[in-house]
Amino acid sequence: MSVLIDSILAILAVYLALQCLLAPRLTQTVFIFFAFGLALALAWVRLGAVDVAITEAAIASGFLGVLFLDALRDFSFTAPNKRENLEAVHDPLSRNDTKSLLLPRLALWLGLGLFLLIALEAVWKIPDGGGLTAAAEALLPESGVEHPVTAVLLNFRAYDTWLEIGVILLGLLAIFAVGGIKLYRKPGVAADDPLLRQVILFFTPVLFLFGAFLLYFGKTGPGGAFQAAVLWGAIGILLHLGGRPVFSVIPRWLGQLLLTVGLVFFLVLGFLLMAGGGALFEYPPAHAGVLILIVETLAAISIAAALTAIFANLNQMKKEEPNEIESTN
Amino acid sequence: MIKEVITVILLVVGCFFFLAGTLGVLRFPDLFSRLHALTKADNLGLGFIAAGMALHIASPWAALKIFSIWLFTLLASSTSCYLIARFQREQEQSKNKKERG
Repeated sequence: MSVLIDSILAILAVYLALQCLLAPRLTQTVFIFFAFGLALALAWVRLGAVDVAITEAAIASGFLGVLFLDALRDFSFTAPNKRENLEAVHDPLSRNDTKSLLLPRLALWLGLGLFLLIALEAVWKIPDGGGLTAAAEALLPESGVEHPVTAVLLNFRAYDTWLEIGVILLGLLAIFAVGGIKLYRKPGVAADDPLLRQVILFFTPVLFLFGAFLLYFGKTGPGGAFQAAVLWGAIGILLHLGGRPVFSVIPRWLGQLLLTVGLVFFLVLGFLLMAGGGALFEYPPAHAGVLILIVETLAAISIAAALTAIFANLNQMKKEEPNEIESTN
Repeated sequence: MIKEVITVILLVVGCFFFLAGTLGVLRFPDLFSRLHALTKADNLGLGFIAAGMALHIASPWAALKIFSIWLFTLLASSTSCYLIARFQREQEQSKNKKERG
């Protein structure tokens, strides 16, 4: 029975991935991508990796979905001839001169084949004992947390998590570079709909509480900084859509502090630990639990702020372009 | 034994409503009736499946959690349904105005 479910999931995931690539219209691509993310999340649950499943559902389907829908709206409503425009955007490659594309295509297929071979070889080489699971679990008492995934992410391989926060911040900086930092502080229009406003007001504390729960629960079970951050980021996005953009309400220095505090605290902690004679991120076992909780909370705040800022900036960038053209004319 | 039978019946009824909702989305002619099929039938189906799972797990805390999942989904899906319908109505009204003027 479980083999049946697993094979259906596997076939579904591959089928949805193919459909996502082959769908003729951008709208279809986006919605099939949602379904694909959901199938992947289910697959992760079946593999016993609930952490990855939550992250996949939250980031790939949730956050990326919001960004995709936002982009889709800009494509379909700002463009005057929407159907033609969508098609022109989507398949200039498949119709126009196929001959000149022969070489890039060949290179792409070769690269893809090579990548698949390497991936297959890596899967083949996984040792029977489950790789490093035993090593991680042996050191669990020293890590300060009870869940092996959290122990790896925030203690044994804290370096990776630290740089991941940096990558998200870098993405935000790239958006600033493209859109201009002046968009940072534009007041939004308050939501005109009473129902929407009430629902947002209702969901804000619920999301905050659930995010905090996931953050704290990460110590003993699946959950942690990234999952909590997506929920907190969702609060920021909801408030922005409801006409209360967080970053235009709070003072600018506070916004910048929220964005950077996770990365900076990680860095300072790492250097202090090195100055104390240990390696980078080598927490003293006695205080590891508390330190990890602080690091995780600050990291979650920073990631949530960065996700909100990414959405707010992308959302405002498109809205303001027509106005700017009018004013220069 | 009786509990398991009831669980299975609840799950099957839930799946039936999901199926009916999906059929409605695929077959109904316009956006409003599709939204109606999707939100009404799917929420009911989810309610039956949630009840079945709560009975299956048979722990009061888990049942409470499952019930709140259902409530949040109800709230979120009916709100988004309302927003989509409102947007569509506004589009149609502005189109009508343009055609008249």
